Amino acid sequence: MDNTDVNVVYSVQHQLPLVMYIAQYFFFTGLSAGSFVISVVATLLGRREFKPIGKITAILAPILLMIAPLNLIADLEQPLRFWHLFIFYNWTSPITYGSFLLTAYPIMGIIYAIMVFTNRQTPAKILGILGVPLAISVHGYTGFILALAKARALWNTAAMPTIFLVSAMVSGIGLVVVIAAARWKWFDKDATPEQRQSDKKLITQLATFMAYTIMLDLFLIVSDILVLLTAHSDAYQAGMLILTGNFAPIFLGVEIFLGSIVPMVLVLGPTRKSMKAIVIASILVNIGVYAMRFVMVIGGQTIPLS
Amino acid sequence: MALAQKRYAMVIDMHRCIGCHACTVACKAEMAVPLEVNATWVKIIEKGPYPSTRRFYLPRLCNNCDNPICVRNCPTQASYKRDDGIVVVDPHRCIGCKYCIASCPYDVRYINPFKNIVEKCYFCQHRVDAGLEPACVEGCPTRAMIFGDRNDSKSEISQLLASNATTVLKEEMETGPNVYYIAADETAMSNVENGINYRTEGAFFKLRL
Repeated sequence: MDNTDVNVVYSVQHQLPLVMYIAQYFFFTGLSAGSFVISVVATLLGRREFKPIGKITAILAPILLMIAPLNLIADLEQPLRFWHLFIFYNWTSPITYGSFLLTAYPIMGIIYAIMVFTNRQTPAKILGILGVPLAISVHGYTGFILALAKARALWNTAAMPTIFLVSAMVSGIGLVVVIAAARWKWFDKDATPEQRQSDKKLITQLATFMAYTIMLDLFLIVSDILVLLTAHSDAYQAGMLILTGNFAPIFLGVEIFLGSIVPMVLVLGPTRKSMKAIVIASILVNIGVYAMRFVMVIGGQTIPLS
Repeated sequence: MALAQKRYAMVIDMHRCIGCHACTVACKAEMAVPLEVNATWVKIIEKGPYPSTRRFYLPRLCNNCDNPICVRNCPTQASYKRDDGIVVVDPHRCIGCKYCIASCPYDVRYINPFKNIVEKCYFCQHRVDAGLEPACVEGCPTRAMIFGDRNDSKSEISQLLASNATTVLKEEMETGPNVYYIAADETAMSNVENGINYRTEGAFFKLRL
């Protein structure tokens, strides 16, 4: 409430419950889900030139998803009691879905990676098709964690899972582009010139796809903020917090400008043929998505509740 | 409704509250609440331009909601609702994921820095089970806090609820709070802040990384 004649003499505000561990966890699951989806697309299309991308992403997805839950366990106040999640589950809590998804998905990802690396096409394709919904839910549920924490106006929106999924795709493609470009630069010397050419073309195509995904992400963010600004007073406060408040430099400066607009210009603009520009854009995109997780998780909790 | 189903509730009469913080002190002593966290506190605001200015108080505690978001979101069923309506946290079950704190619209849950589990106001369940009143109610010098079974039509609280205009905090959250206020100031009940965002300061400098 905006009342200049009000002075708060005493009130209690407890410490932020969810801190950077959680933002980081969201970032890693996003990377994992994004790279898994790309891997499955590469495997399903089955073209020869997609092979290296399919392999890079197949190994990235389970590794990233094994790092991610470490953040969660480190965040627990009682880390040794994490097994309570599986014994005393509660089906109305999104964290319960998460604890089972986070168990099933890496196992599935490892089996899928073995199939891809041993060139068993049919089982890889079947596992891939089964795995995409799993990958989407393993990241989509994190959006529900925020959306169902009803108290926080910035989180409590139906767009939250979709925003998380789309930004996961963006960061996943970004990471894959960086690694594929590193392979192209340093570990691809034995390949024929035609192969190198087709690899470069593939990286450029991936980057272009990333730029289109960024556009979708920006659309979702703009629509979310528009609705926040026109909804009830808490939502308005949340919208203003990220537009003009303490989180504006990180939201507008890092997430929107550095993490979305600049990469889009680099990838689609006159520098679109340059490998350096593409790699810089992909790194920026990942910084932007990390900033987005930070703004959402920490920013959402900074609006006082009492 | 089940016969004689108890539903504990509290009425806080702001006509009587003098903002003395006796409830805070009683709560701290009874529940061994550590420094920096509070299960009960009195929010104080000053309102209006001079000379027509006034202080308003608002004792705050867990609303022990009928439809608690914290219980719905607790992944281990450590938070649960007793049959008499009191929302409690099982200290042996809680893993400290803090999702309940993030979900609660009233900011009444906290991490006990010594026990490393989530704690909150339990309406002093151990005292209530022994037939006593909660510590804050007993400590209140002006009897501004009245505790009882709101399903028992002969109790003082149900008669107060029947004969007074009452409000609850954040009704729009559909939580069904069980702490009712008589004549509470609307501004004190909303999340006012005087230009300083305490939360944001904590976000940047006090991150527990």
